[in-house]
Amino acid sequence: MKHRRQAAVRGLAAALATLVALTAAGCSSKAKTGDGKQTGAGGVKTGEGVTDTTIALGALTDMTGVYATLGKSVTQAQQLWVKQTNAAGGICGRTLELTVRDHGYDPQKALAAYTELEPKVVGYAQFIGSPFVAAVKQRVDGQDKGLIMPQAWSASLLGSPYIRVLGATYDVETINAVDFLLTEKGLKKGDRLGHVYFEGDYGENALKGSKYAAEQAGLTVVEQKIKPTDNDMSAQVAALKQAGVKAVLVSAGPRQAASLVGVAAATGLRVPVVGNNSAFAPQLLGTQAGPALEKMYWFASPSLPIGADTPAARKLAADYAAAYPDDGLDNGVVAGWTAATAFGEILKKACEHEDLTREGVAKALLILSAHDPGFGMTHDFSDPKSPSSRQSVVIQPDKKVPGGMRTVRQPFVSEAAKNYTP
Amino acid sequence: MSERPGTPAKAYRRAAAGLGGAGVVVLLALPFYLERFWLQAGLFAIAAAIGAIGINLLTGATGQLSMGHAFFLAVGAYGYCALAGDGTDGLAGLGLPGWLAAVLAVGLAGLAGGLFSPIAGRLHGAYLGIATLALIFIGQHVLFNAHGLTGGYNGRAVPPLNLFGLTFDDTELLVAQVPFGAVEKLWYLGLALLAGGVLFARGVLRGRPGRAMNAIRDHRIAAGVLGIPVARHRAAVFVLSSMYAGLAGVLLALVFQRTVPEYFGMALSLEYLAMIVIGGLGSVAGAVAGGVFVALLPQVLNRYAEGLPLVSAPGTGGIAPGEAARYLYGAAVVGVVLFLPGGLARLVARTPIHRPSGETR
Repeated sequence: MKHRRQAAVRGLAAALATLVALTAAGCSSKAKTGDGKQTGAGGVKTGEGVTDTTIALGALTDMTGVYATLGKSVTQAQQLWVKQTNAAGGICGRTLELTVRDHGYDPQKALAAYTELEPKVVGYAQFIGSPFVAAVKQRVDGQDKGLIMPQAWSASLLGSPYIRVLGATYDVETINAVDFLLTEKGLKKGDRLGHVYFEGDYGENALKGSKYAAEQAGLTVVEQKIKPTDNDMSAQVAALKQAGVKAVLVSAGPRQAASLVGVAAATGLRVPVVGNNSAFAPQLLGTQAGPALEKMYWFASPSLPIGADTPAARKLAADYAAAYPDDGLDNGVVAGWTAATAFGEILKKACEHEDLTREGVAKALLILSAHDPGFGMTHDFSDPKSPSSRQSVVIQPDKKVPGGMRTVRQPFVSEAAKNYTP
Repeated sequence: MSERPGTPAKAYRRAAAGLGGAGVVVLLALPFYLERFWLQAGLFAIAAAIGAIGINLLTGATGQLSMGHAFFLAVGAYGYCALAGDGTDGLAGLGLPGWLAAVLAVGLAGLAGGLFSPIAGRLHGAYLGIATLALIFIGQHVLFNAHGLTGGYNGRAVPPLNLFGLTFDDTELLVAQVPFGAVEKLWYLGLALLAGGVLFARGVLRGRPGRAMNAIRDHRIAAGVLGIPVARHRAAVFVLSSMYAGLAGVLLALVFQRTVPEYFGMALSLEYLAMIVIGGLGSVAGAVAGGVFVALLPQVLNRYAEGLPLVSAPGTGGIAPGEAARYLYGAAVVGVVLFLPGGLARLVARTPIHRPSGETR
């Protein structure tokens, strides 16, 4: 036993000696040499992810997990944008490269993918999963400083100069939705307003908005908290009927919204139901709840739907259908496109100031105060504490329109949402 | 020296010492060369290995099926946050020094295991599996809803560990010209914890408690007749297993820098069971091998899946890299279970280096 231990000690000593020798010689590629920033082609300062010929962007998406449908649409729209931008000559004389990593909504894979791409990209045009964005926030703010466009609309993500939420957050959107009910659907002071919401980030953020709006308008909110695994809304509808609500808000998934509206219509609770942008999918119109949805369901969205009648929307719908003929058009396409074009606009601004480093991108962000991707909204990135826009549109499901969505109220900001601070 | 020089025993020892020394040097040198991605993946693997040792003591060595391992990981991770947090983020925090919080969090996980052990002492087999399943559901409900403690859906930030004046966060520490961030520093801590965990578990398994645990697994009634206090041993191993899980949880939290409730779900518990089946039931080496295999494979596949044949870029139709990574992971698991029924640990045992006959350990 004794000489075995001696051998082990000898081995360890040799190991440590080699280690010291190797590192002292400085032959590690990780050893520090300068700060990695340099001035490249055209006198433009470059940093991580940018060379004289390319600009690398990352996309952390979910194509195999719970947000697979959203992730696929967003990613394909962004790939389409990269293709078109490169065909038109790229940005700042450089071609764009989008590296996609699918994390399947798994925290470990998401963090691994973020860490893998971090030294290679200038920023992330997409990051699905607000818990994961929150997980890297400390690193992004402290040292990485790469711009992230999360595909999530929770107010808890606001406040970082590098993580920028595109469009109205759930609370602001819900305030706008309540305004729609008050002005167009006959909801009035003293009424009861039902709110069915997911436990967690999305639902609770929306609830904050509905409570604020209710307080402003003198309404009472009747809360019904559900889990993402609850698919049958019979109990919730019964409870809301019992409480005598005059309208219902849904901050849940498309399935829950369909069940809620279907059951409500069947049991005679004929009140307007308004959802958040995540509470609708065009596929619902093909289900049994389809007719009821067309009659008594609306939802608020941070941008015009893909079937909208604007030049940008028509062009995107046509190009997307040509590039991906097998895939449907949904709002993920618009969300991905909007984020990508905003990122492109920021890069162009940074190029004008001859600084494509991450600091340069962050600076360019603050001077981009009016970006209009052509879907009815103008985005203002000058204040990290606010979402880039407080506007919402109200959309009604309609089978006859491409994408299944018809805009019934053009972009607006309610008075209550204007004065709201998250 | 009892053997003559040149005996197989000596050659074996020399080879083992040489291999071990080389392994140690490689592991110690890695932070100087590898990029953050690999160190982080390695740390996930180390944490998984520690957790897997725990569940292997319980399920592999004592035969008690536990589906609740993820719950104890969560207790460790959130326990550390709550004990070390200073309350400035609006969440409950006692503001204890990091090292004390880590130790107490492991103790807390053990305490949670101890509270559950009356049930663990009464049930066995599939019944215990179902009972521990309840822990997952209770745990998930609490993690999502106890906002003041857990931060809800988005989790809470993990305060960095402080040990001997060294803070394990991203403040740069220059060692031989190489900048040391959080993962580089944590790498050494992880290795030390894993080494300690391995040695302790070996000691347990090779001593009297280990033999008693195996006897309980193989024949509970016979073990009782032999005079082994069955219920006490089962409760004790449940506590020990929970403490290993708690330690893994603390390490994971430090690597993640944020605890997210989503992570500590049923899938994680099943992953830990997969680790010990793949690695080899009942042995420490098996748990470590399985832990490293299961934790590392999906991350590596995800990174390199793009280069595989038949895999197309996401969105161009065909198999997406993420899907390919999942298929390969599934195939690897099936392959190991099919062709290595004893787990990865058997693979090493079959290599040409044979232990000399008659050696007692």
